Amino acid sequence: MAPAWHGHDVSARATPEPVITASALTKRYGNVVALDGVDVSMPRAATGLLGANGSGKSTFIKLLLGLIQPTSGAATIFGLDAAGEAVRIRERVGYMPESDCLPLDVTAADFVAHMAEMSGLPSQAARQRANDILYQVGVDEERYRLIRGFSTGMKQRVKLAQAIVHDPELVFLDEPTNGMDPQGRDDMLDLIRRIYRTLGIAVIVSSHLLEDIERVCDHVVMVNEGRLVIQGRIDDLLEGGGDIIVRIDGDRDEFITRLRARGSAAAIAAADIVVAIGSEAPEAVYDRIRDTVVDMDVPLRLLRGRERSLEDVYIQTVGGLAGEEAMVAGGE
Amino acid sequence: MASDTPRPYGEVYDLGYQHYSGPRLGRSHAIRALTIYSIKRGLGIKKKWTSKIMPALLYTGAFMPAVIVSGILAFAPTGVSFGYHNLFQIVSLVLFVFAAALAPEMLSDDRRENVLALYFARSITRVDYLLSKLFAMAILMGTMIYGPAALLFAANVLLAGDPIAYFFDHLGDLGRIAVSGALAAAFLAAIGLAVAAHTNRKGVATGLIIGGAFVLAGIAAALFNALDSNARDYVIFLSPMDLMEATSAWIFGNSPPGMAALAGVYHAAAMLVVIGLAAGIMYRRYLAED
Repeated sequence: MAPAWHGHDVSARATPEPVITASALTKRYGNVVALDGVDVSMPRAATGLLGANGSGKSTFIKLLLGLIQPTSGAATIFGLDAAGEAVRIRERVGYMPESDCLPLDVTAADFVAHMAEMSGLPSQAARQRANDILYQVGVDEERYRLIRGFSTGMKQRVKLAQAIVHDPELVFLDEPTNGMDPQGRDDMLDLIRRIYRTLGIAVIVSSHLLEDIERVCDHVVMVNEGRLVIQGRIDDLLEGGGDIIVRIDGDRDEFITRLRARGSAAAIAAADIVVAIGSEAPEAVYDRIRDTVVDMDVPLRLLRGRERSLEDVYIQTVGGLAGEEAMVAGGE
Repeated sequence: MASDTPRPYGEVYDLGYQHYSGPRLGRSHAIRALTIYSIKRGLGIKKKWTSKIMPALLYTGAFMPAVIVSGILAFAPTGVSFGYHNLFQIVSLVLFVFAAALAPEMLSDDRRENVLALYFARSITRVDYLLSKLFAMAILMGTMIYGPAALLFAANVLLAGDPIAYFFDHLGDLGRIAVSGALAAAFLAAIGLAVAAHTNRKGVATGLIIGGAFVLAGIAAALFNALDSNARDYVIFLSPMDLMEATSAWIFGNSPPGMAALAGVYHAAAMLVVIGLAAGIMYRRYLAED
């Protein structure tokens, strides 16, 4: 019998006020600025914290959990000061770290129950919930086995289980699909999506995988080199724009030059030419492509539209090769 | 007519995820939970059988002298000269090995396996974490140090001609056992935890604690024999084991070991200083991490 995540109304916990706010939040380690004056407001939703490795995502989460103190600025969760009321905040949140963090010579059931007790649940309730949650995340009979024998995917599920076993209002998931195979990654993303949509637990997913964020989150916060780049609803950010993919038999550089002369931005991408639609009507851009093909008298092999993705938003916002190299559009 | 289809005698319902509406018992419960969990791990409970061997051997080693002496007292009471100080001398050695094995069990695994990241994301502080580990160690070491002493005291009381009179006449022994045991347990736990806090490998920590104590004892003995000035009176402060023995002798009013030339109170004070230093080291290691 497949686990059921039903019968709950997400809106029951939804409130209009932001669940997280940060104001000029800065963290320095010596001369290294890990987070630089971040101002952000995150709603009670599934929010992606997107940025390349080393961009300051994990530092931001640690500051919010009160695990480290900011150099300057302030942050709040549920209206509580992250630096001064960390214990009260941590009673109400869950955290799934990026790195391996599970003891190996303990069974999953024992460990998750222990973590529930560490969040204040009585012993019997902790054991009951540990069993329930492990079942819900897909660790059923295996829960009585030592964690040492678990695959990466199973360990990730146990990490997720310990993060939600005490029924938090908000859960931080730091690179939750790290090291997982494609099937495991799909399953994990599905679980994360259900955590918010079915259970009503607000989710902050920190990832450098654009596709992961796009699949499970409603909102996104992008950081780059410790600075906030952009934040907002993903649907709003992806509205409009998009690209047209063109493949011709002919001189692509000449095609791009002529297209640019007509007023459209274009670039070579592998065997194709990517033409940006921007804020124009797509028909106008298609007309320019048609006119250029006719002018050059070259065969047109492919012409198709592509919706705007988070990758486009990231590259347009952050820009530069560094961003493209560091971020991964698909899985690893 | 009864239906041929057998009626189900039970059904399984998957209620899905349920929100938790029960009590949340807060930090004190978390500290208690971590203390109990650490005690179980220290004893090898819910771990593979090989993890249980060392604690079992050490507990046996700690209780054996008291059991043997109690037996001798029962069947051949004359000619037995075995006081609480003698018991502490033997148990201290076992306790020392126990502390060397236990302290890394308390801290090193959590560091190596990065479980600290999960603990510190719960509703406890770093002080709470260290307190839990300290409580766990204190309880385990307390059972090892007070258990044999209590057994010996009970044997002495029960085998005395007038047990009630013996009990009240020797209440001072209980006080000395309590103080000496608490000091020794805190001293060894502090040293063990301070060393274990700096390495992720249990074997390395245990080796450092035991090896370090023997090396320091050797250095202290060599210096004591080589020096002939007043400086030799202070050499004992280099050796934790000799310091413990000298303090225990002072508390029980026995003659101090050869290296202990200063008044016993200085040795006890030195043990307290070491405990304070170890606490400072752990503060730097866990609390000042940022």
